[in-house]
Amino acid sequence: MARLLVQLKLQLLRNALRSSTPAKVSFFTSCFFAVVVAIAAFVALALLRGSATSVDLTTVIFTAFAFGWLILPIFAFGLDSTLDPATLQLYPVRTRSLAVGLLCASFTGAWPVANVIGLLGVTVGLASGPLGEVVAVLAVVLQVLFCITLARLVTTTLARLLRSRRGRDLAAFLIVPIFALYEFFAQVVPRLAAAGKLHASSFAGFDSWMRWLPPGLAAHAILDASTGHASTALLRLAILAAVIVVLGAVWIRSLGRALVTADTSTQSSRVHGAALPFARWGTLGAVAARFWIYQRREPASLVYWALTAVIMAVASASAIFGKQHHPAVLLTGAVFGAAFVGYFHANTVGQTGPPFIYEAMALTGRRELRTYFWGQDIALTVIALPLLVAVSLGLSAAAGRWEYGFFAAAVAVAGTGAALGISNILTATLAFPMATRAGSPLRQAAPGYTAYGLGGVLANLATVAITAIPVIVAVVFAGAHPPVVWYPVLLCCAAAYGFGLVYVGVLLAAIAAGPKLPELCQVALASQL
Amino acid sequence: MGVPGTGLTGWHDRARVGGSAIRVRGLRKSFGGKAAVDGIDLDIAAGSLAGLVGPNGAGKTTSLSMMTGLLRPDGGSIQVGGLDVWEDPPAVKAIIGVVPAEVRLFDRLSGAEVLEYSGRLRGLSAAEARTRSTQLLDVLDLTADAKRLVADYSTGMRKKAALGCALIHNPSVLFLDEPLEGVDPISADVIRRLLTRFVGSGSTVLFSSHVMELVEQVCDHVTIIDRGRIVASGTTDQVRDGKTLQQAFIDLVGPRATDEEVLSWLGSSSS
Repeated sequence: MARLLVQLKLQLLRNALRSSTPAKVSFFTSCFFAVVVAIAAFVALALLRGSATSVDLTTVIFTAFAFGWLILPIFAFGLDSTLDPATLQLYPVRTRSLAVGLLCASFTGAWPVANVIGLLGVTVGLASGPLGEVVAVLAVVLQVLFCITLARLVTTTLARLLRSRRGRDLAAFLIVPIFALYEFFAQVVPRLAAAGKLHASSFAGFDSWMRWLPPGLAAHAILDASTGHASTALLRLAILAAVIVVLGAVWIRSLGRALVTADTSTQSSRVHGAALPFARWGTLGAVAARFWIYQRREPASLVYWALTAVIMAVASASAIFGKQHHPAVLLTGAVFGAAFVGYFHANTVGQTGPPFIYEAMALTGRRELRTYFWGQDIALTVIALPLLVAVSLGLSAAAGRWEYGFFAAAVAVAGTGAALGISNILTATLAFPMATRAGSPLRQAAPGYTAYGLGGVLANLATVAITAIPVIVAVVFAGAHPPVVWYPVLLCCAAAYGFGLVYVGVLLAAIAAGPKLPELCQVALASQL
Repeated sequence: MGVPGTGLTGWHDRARVGGSAIRVRGLRKSFGGKAAVDGIDLDIAAGSLAGLVGPNGAGKTTSLSMMTGLLRPDGGSIQVGGLDVWEDPPAVKAIIGVVPAEVRLFDRLSGAEVLEYSGRLRGLSAAEARTRSTQLLDVLDLTADAKRLVADYSTGMRKKAALGCALIHNPSVLFLDEPLEGVDPISADVIRRLLTRFVGSGSTVLFSSHVMELVEQVCDHVTIIDRGRIVASGTTDQVRDGKTLQQAFIDLVGPRATDEEVLSWLGSSSS
């Protein structure tokens, strides 16, 4: 069984190479990053040699790897057929041999190998002496085994949930903290380090509470063996092995249950309220109601709003954490925030997918199309404006320059108008099918349309940046400390300007969409959501 | 919108001028050089319940998509209720209802919300849309699930909700692509009775199906399409020609021969 499942995993990898170009690109990208992670982890761990905090930092890195193994299989659930026990449910296989097979399959692939190679950096950075080296290799093997067993337990336990609609919804939200964490390490940590606020000694004592957790046990076993405490080292490894055995036993039990338990029928969500809101505003109200409801109930929409806030924070990072604290950077954050509101909601047809044809059947002319675009813009504006203004003010307060919060808010208000206007035009002129791929909670451009997606980002950024120029000029004209009355005047003017931009966008979009409705319907039908 | 010089104003009147609720001439569509629909002519009389049958890939869905204004044809003309689909799409859309083969509704709306949304998009007042939505949900046996998200509906429930969306504005012509696929027998019976009543009031239904028994039972007009061409069209009795519709279909389309001898091992219990 182990051999068969390893062959299955290898066959799946081979098939990925033989399938579409995007799949090949994805495979090679994944392999490339696996090599990068292996080299980076090995070098990072090796460079800890002689450092006073080497064991603390090793514990941090081991914990980070365990965290990655815990989270990533949830995203990869639909990608790796060997992760879902339901795929093997029909075959006459005993649970124990299936467990061994699945474990071996987990060790197959670029990432497990990269994991082992990367963590072997401890043989240079932390271990010393023959016993230390032997224990280091053993500790790395046990650490990787722990990670894989933990990942298997989590995916098997969650398998029934992850196959359900509600489970996929919950998984979608994981992307927000992961994206925020990634941006924190990519943007904030380097700035904190450059400003002298973050250094190796910042991690001192980190492992005082981590040393008895599995990753800490592995790291400390190496240190103990290298400093002559062989018995303590072996005790730690024994505890780690026992943890793995317990996890394995729990996993096998969970696997046994998963093989004979009916699939989770999604527990239905019942909605509150008897009817669609905004009844008195006819078709405009109906469209606005539909988009408003989707912003609340569609996980991807909620994720997009959260990502917009994160992007604004990241773009403003140097104003808060950098050395110069230049407040004008906050305006950049507002431009990025508005542009991504537009990008995330451009291509409404592709994002709506096949249900768009029900709307298209009612969009019988230019007037109805204008109503359609206005309806969605109203729903998005109701969320975008408070969010962007609040984040702008919050970031300015964090940077200690509250007055720039009003300037950034004005840019955000005008920018939202520009972003919605251009997103309407892009929806009408450059609609493209979208797809949700297994393992990714967010919608992406369907294979062959990636350039359209990138074009959407650039078009939104360029449009918002260019149309924000008058507002930025007004800000510069006002100087650093304008009279108080200037702030509401600026905000009102920015709002009027933004409204004008949406108005133009809606007009042009309706003109462009009218003759193209059949083609837009085909785009919608081609979306695989 | 009347017909000049005739004094006729309603769509039924216009249909009578042309004699057909649906009139298709020389309809063509190719994908990548391969003809999916290869010059079909079709006439469906007003008040008919017409079936469009054919093997997989025969061109049924492509034809229905072009007739409903969802797919631009390469050539030919289509009239629905006397109006040219591709010369005056808004007017045609106003009088038709469509249920596509792969039903994809707004799955983050509840069943009640999705029907009400369809009604309001079609210009009904909110109160009227709500009333009709409630009535349709009741007839389609979806009242108990009216407040559940469509995302949690089964295939059959989605089909029924989609039918409700297509009927809520009381269309004159209804296009249904595989309307009973995945629908349980009780719900299928409900839909059958609903369609029969709908047609009885003078409206027209054109639907595609693989289920010959169903077509034979409920349709007064049958069209058989194969490889993008119509191979038979007329009243159900004319097309059957004294046989069952299933047999007539196989005779006209031709059985797909396969060499079953290679499966000689199948049925033995030795391995």
